[in-house]
Amino acid sequence: MRHFRTLLAHELRSAALSWNTWAAGGLFLALMGGIHFFALIEASRAPSDRTPVESTLWFFWLPLLCVLPLLTMRTFAEERRSGTLAALLTTPASATAVVWAKFLSTWIVWVVFWLLFTVFPLLTVQRLGTPGDTRLGDPSILWGGLCFIAISGLLHVAIGILCSCVTRSSALAALLAFICLLAMTAAGGAMESLPIESWEWLGWLREPAAHLRTFGHLQDFAAGILDSRPIVLYGTGTLLCLGLAVLSVEGQE
Amino acid sequence: MNEAAPLPEAAVVAEKLTKRYGSLTAVEDLSFSVAPGEIVGFLGPNGAGKSTTMRILSGTMSGTSGRATIWGVSVALDPAGAKRHLAYMPENNPLPEDLRVEEYLTLRARLKDVVPSRVDERVRKVMDDCDLTRRASGRLIGQLSKGFRQRVGIADALLAEPRVVILDEPTIGLDPHQILGIRDLIRSLRGKMAVLISSHILHEVEQVCDKVVIINRGRLVAQGRTEDLRRELLPEVSFTLVTRSDEAALLVACRAIEPAASVAALPSADGWSTFRISLPTGSPARETLAGALIAAGISLREIAEDRFGLEDIFLAATRRTPGESRRS
Repeated sequence: MRHFRTLLAHELRSAALSWNTWAAGGLFLALMGGIHFFALIEASRAPSDRTPVESTLWFFWLPLLCVLPLLTMRTFAEERRSGTLAALLTTPASATAVVWAKFLSTWIVWVVFWLLFTVFPLLTVQRLGTPGDTRLGDPSILWGGLCFIAISGLLHVAIGILCSCVTRSSALAALLAFICLLAMTAAGGAMESLPIESWEWLGWLREPAAHLRTFGHLQDFAAGILDSRPIVLYGTGTLLCLGLAVLSVEGQE
Repeated sequence: MNEAAPLPEAAVVAEKLTKRYGSLTAVEDLSFSVAPGEIVGFLGPNGAGKSTTMRILSGTMSGTSGRATIWGVSVALDPAGAKRHLAYMPENNPLPEDLRVEEYLTLRARLKDVVPSRVDERVRKVMDDCDLTRRASGRLIGQLSKGFRQRVGIADALLAEPRVVILDEPTIGLDPHQILGIRDLIRSLRGKMAVLISSHILHEVEQVCDKVVIINRGRLVAQGRTEDLRRELLPEVSFTLVTRSDEAALLVACRAIEPAASVAALPSADGWSTFRISLPTGSPARETLAGALIAAGISLREIAEDRFGLEDIFLAATRRTPGESRRS
């Protein structure tokens, strides 16, 4: 990992100068801005259990499925297609350093996108809110939700990186990432909605299903409940995906 | 140059290298070596296994069996250690399009463990050496011509002053001026670095290299100095002559001085006939042929000894590849 810092600085610089990042950022802000705008409209029409910020964060899956694959798709697929990955691996830099540098830079970009999103609710509160009134958005909910997105983002980005490692086509990498992220996000919800309790032969699924409830994790984080289990889940999942990505890069011939 | 270390006998060693893709054998039992400071041409027809061998030596591909070492370090057992002594420029020279030349070389210098305080100095030096400073340093690599991209690839290879440089087709797609420039650059490395260079331009290899290694269908067919290979692979000398005499008369005259001589007719015009006379390499008739033919009444307009170049050696070597039937 001796060259990790050099590679990370290079990846961050490349991301900042890439049209792909700016396009993905524009799409992300347009999506989240639009969702927040409609959440505000909805909140102004009728009283609701959720604040506009909560309602907006509930749609985190939309940029996760539409924007994150755009960020991760080119990381390895494009470099494998053009051959620059093989050239990079002729230097003493290890595959592990390359994978971690690309992973961390993409995660940083993803977190920066979400930090930029906070401008919308913060501006709304500043312009339209009154002191002490948390109806437009409780800051603790916003920051708790963002913590969830940052922690779960580790695994989400790692999945995208792994998908990009296994193909030379950026489009295919994006599609693979979309399918994996959709399956992962939807799996918990689907498990929750199934009457597993009534099916004895599926009883063993009860425990893992409880761990996969992505929206439940968001709710917990937003409510300020810090449970170590989702953190372990996202952490180990990240390490597994990155380990597989390293193997894939080392094995490319 | 890298830190002082005992000089190994060979900078590059390939020992019984084999690479199989399923039932297809790309490289088989290939053994050769490159001495420190030596420039070696690595030749073979398309699909002979040159690039595969170079990729195994550079550590970007693993071999099925055999041993490869760079400056005494095993490529398989210590890839990072081997890469520290090696620079490899692949055939298509992939470069990131969105970086400027100077930025790219700076990044590569850092990844190749150039001492941080020397990075700028080394980048400037290789850019000067490869004639990039004036016309390409601030330009995006994506905007460079093929020739300048090749120069960037070679500059990258020389950045960390490696012990061994492997260049896969460094002059492919270049114009004659650019080829001359690259050839001079490679020649300037003699004695400083071991260079293994593959090229289809045999004339260029002959001019630049101390030794050649010729492979065909993944197997070694010849290696050594050009002169030695010429003697080994081309056991005959030949003369082309233009005359009004006929083939039969010429053959009689030749056989009178060298019983093993042979004569072959070549296309001719203007009422003159052109023939090729072949003699064994060691035949004394080689030096007295013209005089003997005139003395025998053969009218000569022209006679010249044919010069066999690396092209002829290459053709002779690749024709004699053994074990064709063993390959799938």
